[in-house]
Amino acid sequence: MQIQYKPKRNLLQTIFHVEIMQGMALTLKKLFSKPITRQYPDERPEIELGFRGQHALVRDEITGESKCVACMRCVTVCPSRCIYIRFHKDEDSGARVVDSYDIEALRCVYCGFCEEVCPVNALALTEIYEYAAYDRESIFFDQEKLLGNWDRFVEMKGKAMDNYVNPFWRPRGIPEGRLTAAKRLDVPDEWTVEGQVVGSQANVND
Amino acid sequence: MQVIIILIEILILFAIVMLHVAYATYFERKIIGHMQVRLGPMRVGWHGLLQPIADGIKSFFKEDVVPEQADVFTFRAAPIICLVAMMTSLAVLPFAKGWVLADINIGLLFIFAMSSLSSYGVILAGWASNSKFTFLGGLRSMAQVISYEIAMGLSLVGVMMMSGTLNLTKIVEAQGASFSGMYVFPQIIAFFVFCVAMLAETNRVPFDLPEAETELVSGYCTEYSGMRYAIFFMAEYIGMMVMASIGTICFLGGWSGPFEVALFPPFWFVAKVYVFMFFFIWIRATLPRYRYDQLMEVGWKLLIPLALGNIVLTGFIKAFTG
Repeated sequence: MQIQYKPKRNLLQTIFHVEIMQGMALTLKKLFSKPITRQYPDERPEIELGFRGQHALVRDEITGESKCVACMRCVTVCPSRCIYIRFHKDEDSGARVVDSYDIEALRCVYCGFCEEVCPVNALALTEIYEYAAYDRESIFFDQEKLLGNWDRFVEMKGKAMDNYVNPFWRPRGIPEGRLTAAKRLDVPDEWTVEGQVVGSQANVND
Repeated sequence: MQVIIILIEILILFAIVMLHVAYATYFERKIIGHMQVRLGPMRVGWHGLLQPIADGIKSFFKEDVVPEQADVFTFRAAPIICLVAMMTSLAVLPFAKGWVLADINIGLLFIFAMSSLSSYGVILAGWASNSKFTFLGGLRSMAQVISYEIAMGLSLVGVMMMSGTLNLTKIVEAQGASFSGMYVFPQIIAFFVFCVAMLAETNRVPFDLPEAETELVSGYCTEYSGMRYAIFFMAEYIGMMVMASIGTICFLGGWSGPFEVALFPPFWFVAKVYVFMFFFIWIRATLPRYRYDQLMEVGWKLLIPLALGNIVLTGFIKAFTG
């Protein structure tokens, strides 16, 4: 490999400090360029697809409760182990009933694995990002707070929530047959970018 | 009566200079911000215009911490020495024809004396704080001022030879009112030496070793807080203004300009000083800091021989052309 070194300065260039002048010309040029600063509380950033913000448990429209079935997949996959679930088995039906669902958001790394692995799309990382507090307790989310977070998110998004889906609820590149029924969601066309197949039924049996 | 008039004049000058210092910080933050593609202060007032006032109020009401092991008297006196020495040089600066507090015949020498005196404040601050960072900052400042004071003095000798006086008003008058009369053309080498030495004298980037943040926390003023820290800051900015004024007076023809501005004779003087201030800030936004041995090398091996050569050259030309 040929390494291109900067040509050596000659005497004239040394005397007249050509390199310093080049630097000064650059800073002078930048003085008149448009600043990239965003005046944050007045101008808010545009939230991109796949943003992972505050945690929420989706409130089921029919029951008005959480959709969680206590399968413990999110607890298992969580790399920072910040999700805690307690459940018992219902004596009659044998179904699992959630006693408590806690997320210690201060330990969360916002990887989004929990919402991706959830078979019923009970969990979401919303687009809310302003929830700083003065004490740790208010950022330790129990089930009530998580459902409240979802309500606030719905209120914030308004009409756009009618057929809400995010890229973690419907992960790309996995054939539809491998997904649970709840995860086979309709997604917008523009999600099928970079040659990733969304919702292909072709190779269910691989 | 005479005393009262002078006192009032001093008060007016003090107030105006303080206002300029406050807004020089704003000017600097804005310009550096835009050069780094940022906005600079924006929150206090329209485009941050009240920021310097907010800063002043804040530093005035902050706690004045004196370290336990410090030499209390010297620690308290050091910023005041620094500020007083810098402020005193303002007395001899002619802002326009007749607009000078003390039109003394050794004006230029007086300013040299005062600007080296102000470095005592820096050195004493470094010593009295009893901390290794401040001490190193003080040591560096001492070495730097000693080396660059020589280069700066010698660079202005050429100007003294051409004008034949040390009185600042007479230096301006000797240059005449025309553009070509400015000493920056015949004394271009001296002007270069002066510009570099001026940056070093005022401890500005690229010669800000006494307060090098990356190595010495904040150098000589590490242990200072509140108003005393602000006094050091003011002294630095007044120093910049004084140096810019000397540059304007000795090389750029002082208050004379292409046309007279009625009502406000110092207009051209102020404009030229602000060109210098912009140059200070521009340099700060561009250049990194010199290494210590490079600083000494530039001072002793480049600037002093250049200034001496300039004196010899000026002497020869003056002797042969008369």
